[in-house]
Amino acid sequence: MKKFTKAELGKYNGKNGMPIFVAYQGKVYDVSSSFLWKKGKHQVLHKAGLDLTENLKVAPHGAEMLEKFPVVGILEHSCGNCS
Amino acid sequence: MAKVTREMVERSGINVDQLVELLVKNAAAELTTYYYYTILRFNLIGLEGEGIKEIAETARIEDRNHFEALVPRIYELDGKLPRNMNDFHDISACPPAYLPADPADVQAILKVLVEAERCAVRGYTQICNMTAGKDHRTYDLAQAILNEEIEHESWFSEFLGEGPSGHFLRRGETSPFVSKFLK
Repeated sequence: MKKFTKAELGKYNGKNGMPIFVAYQGKVYDVSSSFLWKKGKHQVLHKAGLDLTENLKVAPHGAEMLEKFPVVGILEHSCGNCS
Repeated sequence: MAKVTREMVERSGINVDQLVELLVKNAAAELTTYYYYTILRFNLIGLEGEGIKEIAETARIEDRNHFEALVPRIYELDGKLPRNMNDFHDISACPPAYLPADPADVQAILKVLVEAERCAVRGYTQICNMTAGKDHRTYDLAQAILNEEIEHESWFSEFLGEGPSGHFLRRGETSPFVSKFLK
């Protein structure tokens, strides 16, 4: 599985034709096919190319919304399963 | 634009541009849902579809009412709707509620309906969370819409066999919570 640093993940922000990736609990998801991640932004408040582990804790949905998207890598030095 | 209205929201600590953008996206979701639900409702045919048609129609009209209620608030906060309706469609806060591949599959239509409502429940929960105790008018509006979206979700969830909704079909006028914003 491909390893991403935070800097590498940051490139996948949906701009200039780049795919749209987000990280959660150490996994990198490709959400390019999601209507709700068009142009690399989600519901105004969230940007692609980032680790959204902490953001998901206060979101009005859980991680189940990510499960339908392919995992394309792991994030190095991520929050992982930290509380 | 209501200048002091916007200023009060800014002073409460809310990023008003972000809030307005969220309101516009949710208004887009409501109007596109009204359109797509028209198609879904027309395809709820046969014995199975007939039993759901009325409630789908209620949800459709109430979602249009939500659009009507949101737009004045957007403009009060110095926002605006996109000039181009295609652009408006594409910024919707929820995915399009497309007719399923098999339009005769009432269960599939119900799943589209329930997922659309669930997206709306999440969206208005988010807006309520942002505005509670800060932007009293937007909170009041978002909470009113949220109440109706929750009932919509519960109706369709019940039809999918997920348990009782706890609600009756509307008796009388639509939008019991949002109607005060439509006067």
